Amino acid sequence: MSLGKRVSNWFAERLGLDDLPFFKTPDYMFHANEWLGALVAASFIYTVISGLILLLYYNAAAGYQSTEAIINQVPYGSVVLYSHLYGSYAMIILAYVHMFRNYFVGAYKKPRELLWILGVLMLVLTLGASFLGYSLIGDALAVSAVDVGAGIVTSIPQLSFLIPIIFGNYDTGDYTRVLALHIILVALIGLLFVFHFFLAEHYGMMPSRKVKPKAPAVYTKEEWSKFNPWWPRNFVYMSSLVFMTWGFILAIPNALAYLNGLPQYFNPFMNPKPAPPPNSPAAAHITTYPPWFFLFLYKIADFTSDVVVFLMIGVIIPLIYLLIVPFLDRTDELHPLRRKVFSGIGILMITYLIQTSLWGDLAPGVQVSVKDQVIAYLVPAIIVALGLTFLNPMEQKVRPSSAISPMTSILFVVISLLFSGAVVQLIDYPSPLTFSIAMFLGSLFFLGARSMGSLVLNKNVSRSVPNRPVSEVNTSVMISNEKKKRLAEVIMSILFVLVVVIVAQMWTIPPTGYASNLFGVDLGLVFLMLGESISLYHYVVYKKPTEKEE
Amino acid sequence: MPLKVRIGNNEVRVLRSSDLYFVQKLLKAMRNPKTKFNSREFTTKGEEYLFNYVSKNVGGVDEGRRNFLKGIVIGVAAATVVGIIPGLRVLVPPVEQASGFPKSLLLDSSGNPLKASLIPVNSPIITLYEYPLTGEPNFLLNLGDKDGNPISISPIDVVVPQTGKTYKFPGGVGPHNSIVSYSAICQHLGCTPPYIHFYPPGNVSPSQLTAPEPDTLTAQALLAAKQANVPALIHCDCHGSTYDPYKGAAVLTGPTQRPLPTILLEYDSSTDYLYATGALGVATYPEGSDGIPSQDPTKDLDTSQYGSSVGDKTQVQANTNPFS
Repeated sequence: MSLGKRVSNWFAERLGLDDLPFFKTPDYMFHANEWLGALVAASFIYTVISGLILLLYYNAAAGYQSTEAIINQVPYGSVVLYSHLYGSYAMIILAYVHMFRNYFVGAYKKPRELLWILGVLMLVLTLGASFLGYSLIGDALAVSAVDVGAGIVTSIPQLSFLIPIIFGNYDTGDYTRVLALHIILVALIGLLFVFHFFLAEHYGMMPSRKVKPKAPAVYTKEEWSKFNPWWPRNFVYMSSLVFMTWGFILAIPNALAYLNGLPQYFNPFMNPKPAPPPNSPAAAHITTYPPWFFLFLYKIADFTSDVVVFLMIGVIIPLIYLLIVPFLDRTDELHPLRRKVFSGIGILMITYLIQTSLWGDLAPGVQVSVKDQVIAYLVPAIIVALGLTFLNPMEQKVRPSSAISPMTSILFVVISLLFSGAVVQLIDYPSPLTFSIAMFLGSLFFLGARSMGSLVLNKNVSRSVPNRPVSEVNTSVMISNEKKKRLAEVIMSILFVLVVVIVAQMWTIPPTGYASNLFGVDLGLVFLMLGESISLYHYVVYKKPTEKEE
Repeated sequence: MPLKVRIGNNEVRVLRSSDLYFVQKLLKAMRNPKTKFNSREFTTKGEEYLFNYVSKNVGGVDEGRRNFLKGIVIGVAAATVVGIIPGLRVLVPPVEQASGFPKSLLLDSSGNPLKASLIPVNSPIITLYEYPLTGEPNFLLNLGDKDGNPISISPIDVVVPQTGKTYKFPGGVGPHNSIVSYSAICQHLGCTPPYIHFYPPGNVSPSQLTAPEPDTLTAQALLAAKQANVPALIHCDCHGSTYDPYKGAAVLTGPTQRPLPTILLEYDSSTDYLYATGALGVATYPEGSDGIPSQDPTKDLDTSQYGSSVGDKTQVQANTNPFS
């Protein structure tokens, strides 16, 4: 036995890696949509780590100045700060995706009700912690956001006792309490996460509807003990996802930091930099907006002047609905089209959330008449209701084994266009900036091309699967897999070379100043490539010729 | 070399060398008593058992290839770690050591250079700017006589009562040589404005004896002003220390043992701009609890707990009027 093997065995034995009590994963579950929770957790962990680094420098008594000092003086401070911000953005978006995905597959049903409720509470805490974190910057936007938030609370006399509890001596520019609460909420998220995680491990991931069409959808102990143990396949797959999440969190905001002069309505989503301080003359010229994840609330505030009604529509009713949905939808049906009412509500919640957020972004603070409100919100409701009435579940869904969704192809087209634009820019104005943008988009293009390409190239194989006798299928699939695996090996070697080149470049980036954000872009790219090479490794080593859902 | 069979005109590929190698390996594993192939289980569970068996014991991928891939993954991971290393500099706090005093242009509250000739004489409004580090406030005063005409402030030797040593106060600057600047942190126990502030001539009067804090003058301070024939004062309400703004902020009454440090100003008569260029006298009073300030003003630059260097610009803020 080689030394490496002996060392890894030593650890495997000591850590009990072979019989961890974690859920064993069936082959068909190694796809990103079964691992959305892991993505949320990955961004949570990233945000906590970067936040602790920021805590070393942040001074709550001088919020804006210390934020500026972190950006301008601390080595790579802006890299950490911007990625901390976008780490929380990623966590919010992924938490929504995770929640709605589980909503539509009916994962809140027996026996996972508590798991669902804990998740909803964690979403609330995440939004709260993000709001407080956004306030800590102390710029004009943060102050206005806090003023709006505090204004909402004060306008209900019974609730105004909460103001000192939440903001402390905010009026005197003291963020000590805001910082403390920010950390406390994050700690609570961490605590709930432990419960959420172990409950999830206990019940296991939600099986495919083909396997368990009715609630309670859980694998019996006997069934799941046959699946892939956590170590090593689960671990390998998980680390590829974690690193890719971190890669995006690092690369995107640090690349965005080089964009300037965006139209106002892009600012809430695409500007990681702080606004001017509230007492500066420049603050008078900026349009204030809340953080994008509260844009929907900002717009609802334009609908009514009654704060209680506003809170009911914007916060309390949706929240209570999400908390009690496991007890409203008590059937054992899991198919979304067999739970049409709940699927409809889910679709409408997503539609309204996105619609209202964009509305708040484009027309902030513009009063909306009741008639316009009714039109804006009734139309999607009618479309959804009609659509659901005429849609019925297909009994035998014939799905190509690995189709690519229209969304993915559109995204791929957009990325290809961006990539070609970036290459033209690079040729016209060669600079580290254009180079890194082209590199970044190029790697996205490359990832896309890989997943699209494999599908296009093997089109006839997957199409002809149902017609062929089983044994023959296996050999052809095996051969095509073998080709793909060879390709994967070549890609991994290329990635290795690229990583080494980028890492060498990273050592030359100055720790502060204009160029320092390139470090974040590069580190993000390196993490993406690390994640991708682990994912390819997983593909080559663990992927079985056929991974069925039975 | 692939194994080929000729059937009619077509050459059919039967096995590739790698396949042959794979079969050989599989058979070896099946015969091995440790990993014996269980044919009974195979008949009950079918191909799933076969696939699991193959991936477990032959791995689908042969050992050399797997090691090669592992090597690449470990290589990429190692390179990532190497890439993170320079990033660890984020843990090293930036050194807040100004090697010398910066030359900082004074700006007004809207960010334009401050015009020295526009500074009001004997203004009761507390006018402050940070220098040489952020968090270190200094008064900016345009001194005048009782009637509000600017007075030329002449150089004078200032005594530090604590040590008996003296230093040379260079006098006022500006169009009338009437502009001076002192640290706004009391040398007694470190009180800051509005507790310590400038009392213009109109407010150095017995009526201040009963004025509410932070505008109370002590009888001692009034007496000292009268004896020294000083029309205006810098007075700290915390414990009653009084300084003479006309004579380099020298100590008029205790409990302070040290004069306020002077900030050196430079006046550019062609542009009417003011620059802060250094400090004189004792060091700025430290805000922390580590006691007595050093008497060397440059010491302040590397041990101060206030913040970072203000750089080549610093903003003058005139917000608070304690007498209104």
